[in-house]
Amino acid sequence: MDAALIWEWIIKSVVILLVMTGGFAYVTLYERRVLARMQVRIGPNRVGWQGLLQPVADGIKLIFKEELTPVGADRLIFILAPVITVIPALIVTAVVPWGTEVNLFGRIVPLRLADINVAVLYILSVTSISVYGITLAGWSSNNKYAMLGGLRATAQMISYELALGMAFVGPILWTGSMSLGDIVSAQKNLWFVVIMPLGFIIYVIASLAEVNRSPFDMPEAEQELTAGYHTEYSGMKFALFFMAEYIKMIGVSMIGATLFLGGYQGPFVDAYPWLGPIYLFIKVALWLFFMIWVRATLPRFRYDRLMAFGWKVLLPLSLLYIVVTAVLRLLVGG
Amino acid sequence: MNDPVDSFMNFDLISRYPGLVKKDQRTGYSGYIVEADCLVQFARAVRDELGFDYLSMITAADYYPDDLMDVIYLLYRTTGGPGILFKVQVSRLDSKVPSLSSIFAGAELQEREVWDMYGISFEDHPDLRRILLWDGFEGHPLRKDWKEPLFEEDSKPYKDRWPAGKHKRQEDLNPFKNNVSYPIGFEPEHFSSNNEKALYDALNKTSGNLNGSLKTDQIIVNLGPQHPSTHGVFRMAALLEGETIIDLKPVMGYLHRSHEKIGERNTFLQNMPYTDRLDYISSMSNNFGYALAVEKLMAVTPPERAEYIRVIMAELTRISSHIMTTGFLLNELGAMFTPSLYALEERELILDIFEEVSGSRMMCNYFRFGGVVRDISDSVIEKIRKLVFNRLPRKIDELDRYLTHNEIVRLRTEGVGVLTADEAAAYSAGGPLLRASGVPYDVRKAEPYSIYDRFKFDVAVRYHGDIYDRYLVRLDEMRQSIRIIQQAIHDIPSGPVMTGKSQYQPKVPAGEAYGRVEGPKGELGFYIVSDGKQNPRRYHVRAPSFINLTALSEMSKGEKVADVIAILGSIDIILGEVDR
Repeated sequence: MDAALIWEWIIKSVVILLVMTGGFAYVTLYERRVLARMQVRIGPNRVGWQGLLQPVADGIKLIFKEELTPVGADRLIFILAPVITVIPALIVTAVVPWGTEVNLFGRIVPLRLADINVAVLYILSVTSISVYGITLAGWSSNNKYAMLGGLRATAQMISYELALGMAFVGPILWTGSMSLGDIVSAQKNLWFVVIMPLGFIIYVIASLAEVNRSPFDMPEAEQELTAGYHTEYSGMKFALFFMAEYIKMIGVSMIGATLFLGGYQGPFVDAYPWLGPIYLFIKVALWLFFMIWVRATLPRFRYDRLMAFGWKVLLPLSLLYIVVTAVLRLLVGG
Repeated sequence: MNDPVDSFMNFDLISRYPGLVKKDQRTGYSGYIVEADCLVQFARAVRDELGFDYLSMITAADYYPDDLMDVIYLLYRTTGGPGILFKVQVSRLDSKVPSLSSIFAGAELQEREVWDMYGISFEDHPDLRRILLWDGFEGHPLRKDWKEPLFEEDSKPYKDRWPAGKHKRQEDLNPFKNNVSYPIGFEPEHFSSNNEKALYDALNKTSGNLNGSLKTDQIIVNLGPQHPSTHGVFRMAALLEGETIIDLKPVMGYLHRSHEKIGERNTFLQNMPYTDRLDYISSMSNNFGYALAVEKLMAVTPPERAEYIRVIMAELTRISSHIMTTGFLLNELGAMFTPSLYALEERELILDIFEEVSGSRMMCNYFRFGGVVRDISDSVIEKIRKLVFNRLPRKIDELDRYLTHNEIVRLRTEGVGVLTADEAAAYSAGGPLLRASGVPYDVRKAEPYSIYDRFKFDVAVRYHGDIYDRYLVRLDEMRQSIRIIQQAIHDIPSGPVMTGKSQYQPKVPAGEAYGRVEGPKGELGFYIVSDGKQNPRRYHVRAPSFINLTALSEMSKGEKVADVIAILGSIDIILGEVDR
């Protein structure tokens, strides 16, 4: 293993972190602008051209906010909880390929950080961790709203995580590999969304629940629990939760685009490998738009109804989807 | 007050309780005076035999310096028609009245309010605590001999601000410490409220343990007073098991500003802008109710054109209030502000009209005794015409199309917060809350006021009594209001808008009057007692959203936390009116 390779990894990791945190900042602006247009408003447009510096202003504000810790809070866990939430969100996209290979300064650089052969398992295990952060945050705050929010998060996870895992099975069955690189390559001619639309729909629904977005935003449920699990958080600790939510949004959009929408695949991507990240970016942006659109449109589920929905509708449907995909795979042959 | 009970019943009641029930003979007064001993029997007889099954109002009036207080009860039939008014006279020193809460569940909060304001204790009341004031408060403020810190005079206008140029600071005339009293044993530094403990004790903890043999704990969660979905500073103390509500008590009074005490100091006309501040999103309706009550006392009727203008404004208010409620109900269900902002867009157009006719968008202060303050121009009429013939029907249909069949909306609202027809009437629920439970009671039809008997419209009614039906009733009512305005705009005559000349100090003869309108939230009534002076002796507001809250606890039991928020949204409370 040569030093250049290690440097390459470090640089790529830094780039991913920067893209994710920068992406977080601008997804908030994106969401606020899109939401505003959908609600017959204008949205933030005063800080910088078209409000482009708004995230910077927000960041500065949050950094200088006073950080409060409630008297009865479990201090260690209270501080640790946002960290536990944000780290999985940051690292989950490490396995997502951004493109094929490009020639950079005479060196062939693959546009991915890690093409491991258990990428799908990695994603599932890492995303499951972040719910601990939410539950612990709710528990350690010594606040009843927060506790209810934290408990809701667990209840929610139990109900959607199974369906989310099942949604991954289709692409794995089809390609015979858990590597996201292989999965993307297999979609060169036909995106998996065409072959397994049911799986795509299940993934979309379950991923909304995964990132606690409307209509499954029960853990924070502003109208019921004021702010849910992060009621007692302020300043940067609050910003970390906020960051985790938005980075996870980007994350699930990237993973979804990779699994079902052909990832970086698109016209001329073989001839011009730099197009890969751009295609991926466009797909993620559209996916995010869809999430914001849903938020502007739908009321919230009730958490017991979500559990019933997860177990009685999504789970049987996902089983059906796996059987259909398997049979289809056998018929098509491979 | 015009006598609501016909002579046949009249005879019946007095002869049945000889010596215990008599007619109220004072000039300008009506109804019966009932001895406290037979109040419960009397009320039961009135309910079961005469069919007055809807307890509309309980209040009291203080006749200091006479040793006399009236406790006033007003009952209606849910089938419509005039009501029956009866009073119990008590001594100011030893004031006890049996509670009616065992007969009318809707008496609970109102009796607490009378206790709070007048110190009249209701025997056998299940939970007689202060309701609007806090328990560090000394005295009962609506008694005429209660004086606040910095007290000046019994009635306005105060001499020290009149005439101009000679004002003095009241702090100098009557320094703050002079007139302040505390309860015995009160130390501001170490005060801890007994009320909190009493509140938590009042929660019914017995019906718990939903999980069979599994031992579970219950927790008390305070939703509010600072909470995004309570529409202001309103608090619900909820006893939870998991997320299921075992019991719930509304706590209010955080926005209490002694509206009625101020109203009794004000002159009659000064109260008109005050009524705007009750339900601050439907000020025109509030003006309407108050104007009706005082006009009954003064025995004036507004000219034709003013009547039409009043109806148009009241119905526009209803539309703006209902459309906003519908939007914010969706907000409470978790639809992030989109429906409410769509609703606000329509409300803005209605407020534009209010601004043009009255000069103010929310605090209109537009009605006067015997008319309205100024005429509306043809351009306003044209604007209203465009609105009710084109834009509003379209937008209401749009709302209907987007929301009514939405899966999640139906899942969240159907069968949630159910109030049966009997319960709704017993709890004195009013307005859309009552009509969604299958009681087609609308003051505009039950006892038509103003010129509502001239218009063709239907009373919107639904039968399931859940949140979904309340939403549908509001939708239907908006359509009916549009129908009324369409007819009124078509028929509106020209002419004066004021009977007689406008005056600052109207002469109001002695007597009592109750004027009620069908406000957007329910029956909005004003009970006024005048003793011929420039300010009312008693000014009571029958606030619909306050009384509708009596049923909140009943509706919420067994539902989830998320549902309670939606139930509260479907009651449609405005804290300015609840706390007064």
